[in-house]
Amino acid sequence: MLPLWLQWVLWGILKAVLVLLFVTVNAIILIWLERKVSGHIQNRIGPLRVGGPAGVLQSFADIIKLLAKEDFFPKRGDPWVWWLAPSVAFAPALMVFFVLPIGPHLVVQDMNVGLLFIVAITSFSVLSVFMAGWGSNDKYSLIGAMRAGAQLFSYELPMVLALVAVTLATGTLNISEIVARQQGMWLIFPQFLAFLVFYIGAIAELNRTPFDLGEAESELVAGYHTEYSGIRWAMFMLGEYTNLLTSSILVSLVFLGGWSGPLLPGWVWVLIKAYLLIFVAMWIRWTLPRVRIDQLMDLGWKFLLPLSLLNIALTGVYMAVMA
Amino acid sequence: MPAWIRRAAVSIAKGHRVTLDQMLRRPITSLYPEEPVPHFPGFRSIPVLKANEETGKLNCTACGLCARSCPPQIIFVESVVGDDGRRKQWPAFFNLDLSRCMVCNLCVEACPFDALEMSADNELSAYDVRDLFFNMEELAALWKTAPAVRIAGGQKR
Repeated sequence: MLPLWLQWVLWGILKAVLVLLFVTVNAIILIWLERKVSGHIQNRIGPLRVGGPAGVLQSFADIIKLLAKEDFFPKRGDPWVWWLAPSVAFAPALMVFFVLPIGPHLVVQDMNVGLLFIVAITSFSVLSVFMAGWGSNDKYSLIGAMRAGAQLFSYELPMVLALVAVTLATGTLNISEIVARQQGMWLIFPQFLAFLVFYIGAIAELNRTPFDLGEAESELVAGYHTEYSGIRWAMFMLGEYTNLLTSSILVSLVFLGGWSGPLLPGWVWVLIKAYLLIFVAMWIRWTLPRVRIDQLMDLGWKFLLPLSLLNIALTGVYMAVMA
Repeated sequence: MPAWIRRAAVSIAKGHRVTLDQMLRRPITSLYPEEPVPHFPGFRSIPVLKANEETGKLNCTACGLCARSCPPQIIFVESVVGDDGRRKQWPAFFNLDLSRCMVCNLCVEACPFDALEMSADNELSAYDVRDLFFNMEELAALWKTAPAVRIAGGQKR
């Protein structure tokens, strides 16, 4: 029998590999799905030629292409910050998965403050954006990073306040517990305002199109990752799509009843709900035009924040009356 | 609820309905190499040499008007010179460099003998630029196989 510490380490490595595999496979599917959805919305077909039915191997071809690209470093950039930024973009996206249950008991670490942990970790993605913008020493990157930083404050606060109302209603920060509390009724019905605020905030946090001020390609070339190419750029994309997956799974767990559903096993239900939300996010991305930075501020501070505060008040009053 | 929120929600919902409609529609992309692309009326690609349908001989008399009218100067035509040193009324060679052809139709319009016609063959691409150099026999063969342009002055009466 192996010594205890070695067992721990091996278990940890196994879990990490599994999580990494899950994340990567899903990100590859998501990138393919995004191209298909955008193609069909624009009356195109999307990837078709590269391997398999409907071009499902397109993402692998992209990975090979990106690996073969030149590794470029901007001359006057800040090397350490620049080199670290892609990893910092991907690491928090991955870390969230260690507390995110995919099914009943299907979780790496069932943390008591899981929701708080997720909220804290996902805020890190803006750090990577800022590191990339600063390290590139490029005006477009820096403007993009500054915008992303300004964006952070206007969506993060309402988002967290929306989750406060959820915590009030369920009385716990443990995600498995939250799922268990909504066996009778999905939380989206009593907490619709929280769902709305959180979903809008999640799309803003993902830097997806109605709120993609950080990379606004029509104004800022590619925003904060203008100077990145090849596999470093792929890390940013991987982080972005992993964040899309995590936030969709989180919304499906917290608001859509998680793994409660008939017939199919729990993790299938979670993935079905998550992919439905992912589709909606893609639908939104290819429908709505980008907002200006002041419009985003307006939306965050004048609409979402009062809405989430109102929701907390309503939830509090309801809890007090019922108790 | 304030009116502007309702207006925003309605307009967002409308936009999403439009994109969903488009998504459920059949894509307009045509899969070109597998499916043929339709020839649009009036599409021109290369001037080809017409022949008399009864005798099978080319209509061309090697008068050289097409070569003189050609703006990029890509038509090279010379008449046959007989034993007596006089020029005959048929071409010795008729070469055409498609790589520089601007598909202007001026050679067809200049031809007084109805010997040239614009073809609508759109599959003439080649990997080597030398393969875009057509001689008399190739141009005559193209006329027999390729669809011709039937409108926009492509054909003489």
